[in-house]
Amino acid sequence: MKDLNRKLEKAFNPRTVAVVGDKRAMGYFWLRAMKSFVGKVYSVQINKEEIPGIEALGIPNYMSLLDIPGRVDYVVCAVRRDICPRIIEDCIRKGVTAVTVFASGFAEIEEEEGVRLQQELGDMARKAGLILIGPNCVGIYNSTLGVRQGEDQPWGEAGNVGFISQSGTHCIDFTYVGYGHGVKCGKAVSYGNAEVLDIGDYLEYFAQDPQSDLIGIYVEGPRDGRRFFHALRKATRLKPVVVWKGGQTEAGARAIYSHTAALATEQVLWDAAMRQAGAVTADSLEEIVDVLKGLLYIKPGTGRRVGLVAMTGGQSVVIADAFGRANLEVPTFTPASYEKLASFFQIIGGSYRNPLDAGHTVAMGFRTGNLERMLDILVEDANIDAVVFESSIPFLKRRGLIRTTLFDKLLDLLVHYKERCQKPFLVILQPGLLEGEMAEIRGKLLERGIATFAGFQQAADVLSKVINYHRFRAGLD
Amino acid sequence: MSAIEIIDKAKSEGRTILTEVESKQILAEEGIPVAHAQLAATREEAMAAARQIGLPVAIKIVSPDITHKSDVGGVKLGLNSEEEVAAAFDEIVETARRAQPKAAVLGVSVQKMARPGVEVIMGMTTDPQFGPVLMFGLGGVFVEVLKDVAFRIVPLEARDARQMIRDIQGFPVLEGFRGQEPADLAALENMLMRLSAFVEEHPEIQELDLNPIFAYKDGALAVDARIVLS
Repeated sequence: MKDLNRKLEKAFNPRTVAVVGDKRAMGYFWLRAMKSFVGKVYSVQINKEEIPGIEALGIPNYMSLLDIPGRVDYVVCAVRRDICPRIIEDCIRKGVTAVTVFASGFAEIEEEEGVRLQQELGDMARKAGLILIGPNCVGIYNSTLGVRQGEDQPWGEAGNVGFISQSGTHCIDFTYVGYGHGVKCGKAVSYGNAEVLDIGDYLEYFAQDPQSDLIGIYVEGPRDGRRFFHALRKATRLKPVVVWKGGQTEAGARAIYSHTAALATEQVLWDAAMRQAGAVTADSLEEIVDVLKGLLYIKPGTGRRVGLVAMTGGQSVVIADAFGRANLEVPTFTPASYEKLASFFQIIGGSYRNPLDAGHTVAMGFRTGNLERMLDILVEDANIDAVVFESSIPFLKRRGLIRTTLFDKLLDLLVHYKERCQKPFLVILQPGLLEGEMAEIRGKLLERGIATFAGFQQAADVLSKVINYHRFRAGLD
Repeated sequence: MSAIEIIDKAKSEGRTILTEVESKQILAEEGIPVAHAQLAATREEAMAAARQIGLPVAIKIVSPDITHKSDVGGVKLGLNSEEEVAAAFDEIVETARRAQPKAAVLGVSVQKMARPGVEVIMGMTTDPQFGPVLMFGLGGVFVEVLKDVAFRIVPLEARDARQMIRDIQGFPVLEGFRGQEPADLAALENMLMRLSAFVEEHPEIQELDLNPIFAYKDGALAVDARIVLS
């Protein structure tokens, strides 16, 4: 295994990359994606008509992998499926570390020739010790080195999130959607049909990879579920792993004699395995980004009692409902807190309970001093384990706060509060219908290290998952 | 006979389903508490076994071909005399023969009527994706209708056994709901850990049901057991 991790380390950090078979009809998809690569990029294309277009991109073309001078670490094989065996043969002769087989039409179409070809590629790679990724995938992404799977992906900046994806689309989408939300992916792999290496192999690599502080996974069905489970159980004890499961895998038909077997449906077992392994789960791209964001930006905590400060009155009940559904508690504060609140809290147009409806106390004239006092009372309150601040874009806009010094003051307040608050702290920022302003404000908060969540339920679910993970790590559940 | 011997014997006879008597022998050897069941091939043997074990007893049909004993009238509970045992023997053997004429009937199992407790079920099956998995649930309607069960992948850690018992919706029942005797949770956790170790050691086991298990305030006892080999 150590040996495999070493090879994957080389594969994720290549010095030279070759793309085989990119062409005009594909819009030079791969070569454009690799333009950001800090090392050397080569093209291999034998079609004379394609070569001028490739050279116009400033990328040297060769007639064969074997003609490229020096070592080639990583190859993207973008030729038709029936040509793939020849290219893999060349990869082996050239001593390439890893190859991504981009072509589809293999075992995933459940057709005889596809299955046979995939087996053939796998056998060649296994025998030679070549890392073969796929087939039917987009392979490796390394943001620091600019090794990309598509032109949309960010590059040039290191990220501390690793991503493993059975699907190419979700892999690419995750890297740039996550980036926009402060979830920066440093390394990712899309592994497709998993002929040679399966999800468990990649997970073991990311678990020990010092650059990846957190791991995200998109999986439809592991080839070896047991191996995945064991790798997952180990990984979650080192770092958070968020698993987004897509679709339903097919379980083979079998004779069942027992009650137990009849009840052991695929979904039930998957959920049990995730819980047992200590994985955090997500059901969509938005959710996996949100949950990773929560794990990254919210301080660890294990208590379920939440104290809320809401700007918008009338939402109090709804907020409490949302947190209750997420298995969190919204308790009353300590008498000491109420005593302190009584000295300045305006009961008319506000509410004392939890959530604190700060409508009049803060919003009228936007007295940030009062907001700060309220938030600080929650830090001190022994009944409260986590603090949530709620506001909305329509509110900020109505009060004329967007792009004002008052907003900057609010921002500073939240940033300093987050620093001194030892409890988990998060901000709910509801977009209303003002998506443009939302992106701007969200970005400003994120720049200062404050993650925002776009709704009560999203925030409650994320906080609950983050707390559950820390409880798991602490051995509390 | 040891577990291996019983399994080998069944295999050599081309059987994949172990009888209740065989299943319990294996489990007892692994330190899993089961209500001892004695095989009786004839009416006389059944009466002698009842005398030896002590009344009241339960008797159940023993046949490698019958997996759901009560479906063929193959279970008689609370027999209070040797005469009742004799009559019950004749009746269940006859009813079973009629229901499944091709089934090989080896006789009946005789066991002491267990003191009732909270009914729970434990089981194991081999999943194509995750391999051996264990299940825990409350018996009766909870498992049959509500499917209120928790699963874990083998091997279990102590935390897993603890969690799966507490994960089920009906957990308060085990804590002594409405004056009922609370269940010995440590004994149930221990049983799950032993089952996990047992099935891990025996990959030839495909499925296993301990149903019901009676949970008491001091211990637990599997009253029926079935092991299926691959």
